Amino acid sequence: MTLQQPALTATAALARPAQRKDKGRRDRGRLFQEIGMLAPAVVLLAIFLIVPFLLSFWTAMTNQPLVPRPTPVRFIGLTNFLRILKDDLFWTSLWNVSRFTFWILPVQCGLAFATALLLHQKLPFRNFFRGLFFLPAITSMVVVCVIWGTLFQYPTGPLNQVIGFLSGGSIQPIDWLGDPNWAMFSIVLLSAWQAYGFQMIVYLAGLQGIPDELYDAARIDGANAFQRFWHVTMPGLRPTHVFVLVITTIQAFKLYTQVAVLTQGGPKSSTETVVHYMVRTGFEEQKLGLASAVSVILFLIVLVIALLQRQLLRRFDV
Amino acid sequence: MSDLVLSTTPLEVERERSAVGTLRLVQTACILVIALVIISPLFMLLVASLKDDRFQILADMGSFRAFWVSNPTLSNFAEVGNLSGELAYGRYLLNSLIILACTVGAGLIVNSMAGFVLAWGSLRGRALMLSVVIALYVIPQESIIMPLVIMVSRAGMTDTFTVQIVPWVASPLYIFLFYQFFAQLPKELFEAAEMDGASVFRIYRSIFLPLSLPALATVSILMGIEAWNQYLWPILVTQTDYARPIAVAIATFFGQDSIYWDRAMAASVLMMIPILALYLAFQRWFVSSFVGSAVKG
Repeated sequence: MTLQQPALTATAALARPAQRKDKGRRDRGRLFQEIGMLAPAVVLLAIFLIVPFLLSFWTAMTNQPLVPRPTPVRFIGLTNFLRILKDDLFWTSLWNVSRFTFWILPVQCGLAFATALLLHQKLPFRNFFRGLFFLPAITSMVVVCVIWGTLFQYPTGPLNQVIGFLSGGSIQPIDWLGDPNWAMFSIVLLSAWQAYGFQMIVYLAGLQGIPDELYDAARIDGANAFQRFWHVTMPGLRPTHVFVLVITTIQAFKLYTQVAVLTQGGPKSSTETVVHYMVRTGFEEQKLGLASAVSVILFLIVLVIALLQRQLLRRFDV
Repeated sequence: MSDLVLSTTPLEVERERSAVGTLRLVQTACILVIALVIISPLFMLLVASLKDDRFQILADMGSFRAFWVSNPTLSNFAEVGNLSGELAYGRYLLNSLIILACTVGAGLIVNSMAGFVLAWGSLRGRALMLSVVIALYVIPQESIIMPLVIMVSRAGMTDTFTVQIVPWVASPLYIFLFYQFFAQLPKELFEAAEMDGASVFRIYRSIFLPLSLPALATVSILMGIEAWNQYLWPILVTQTDYARPIAVAIATFFGQDSIYWDRAMAASVLMMIPILALYLAFQRWFVSSFVGSAVKG
């Protein structure tokens, strides 16, 4: 290519008038510049995204350890996948992230939607509130864990005190992070608190995208507030709903930091998640091949959810 | 609304008005309750960071004193803000700032150039490249992290700043955001500059880039939050304090048996400040440009 290309363009240029020749040179310069501008991104994506992605499929089918051993790495086919699918802890982790998703979707998205509807009204200081509600979203998850770790203290932490106060002492203190029945729900609470401001902003933008004329028309047709909400707002927000639900689901399946900092998967594996299971297999048990198999499974889950999103959006003609 | 005004308005209008008034009141009350839930944990953090006695902090947790400090002190901040010492968070903070600045700085340049060429370039197969970029977006960081750790440790890159910056500079999402932003700018802008004989890089640099402030702000905030809050990657690739970011330092500290709550709270407050400043500086452009494209894309 390097040898042939300049020669070809040169002969082509000979046949052209002088002006064309000048333009041809400029086109070639432009092409080089474009390649140069694209190159950093392409090279970085290739080395740090595409290569490790392909490698993860390969590693998943080998007995690759974390620390290099004298014995060569062997190709062992789908053995790792079979071992994982036979591991109860893996299924527990999958079940746990499903439980997490089941809770976080209504809690986080519902709250975000409700707040967005409220802030879309002409309330005083709404820009102030908008900024305020976004504060947790820019707070590092580790800091959020420090805060909620104190709130969750058992038995006299602030959360238990507030609940005791509101219930007049009839609700016993809850061991938020230490009780297997509550631990995952506690993780849901702090995760929803942290990330909901982000979704609220997405919903607000969605609401702003619905033309006022639609509301005016509905009003002229005699639609009441609830009818306007159900027949104008909800259809107008369909793509937003799909986006928010899909993003939240994908995020939920990648649940890691909260669990790593606060519970380490416990108590009794009640907060073990897929990514936490993967990191433990790879770095504590030093079985990278096995861990890579988990990462491939995680990718397939995310892929399925993303494809589902595309199907849904297509159905709604967006 | 005084009684006089009410009595002179027709009954129906009056009823409607008071209904709207009640609704506003309920809505405002709801907002205030949500605001309380959102802000009180953060407020508690700030208050606790100003208390010097870590046993007092825990004792205060059970009462409303968790939200009140009688004699505020900055001694926790002085302690954790140090650059050296046992609980010195200054150096981790500095590490995180270096990582943040380099990642965002390089990310803005690399991703915007790529997005520009995809939007206005003359290369063949631009459409194909764009589909590849969108497809790559589906790959989660978590599922490439295992092989990536082997790669960087074989290359002897663990425990460096480079390893925490370079892998996350180019990103399909931000290339796509820039592409979308540039593509919606008018064609005449490009054509006029090209007629004047400006090179592609020059058109990008002096015409399109200055116009893309909203996109630059959005990507800065998103990349900034991401780089600042990275946790999984740095725990896998840093073993010593040399390049360890503050998120890992706080988490390690938090995992110990005897937690210095006062110091942990102060370090957490310090960790919030830079990213808050970044957000406040750019938020004006953030919402409009990010959200529209993200939902459609």
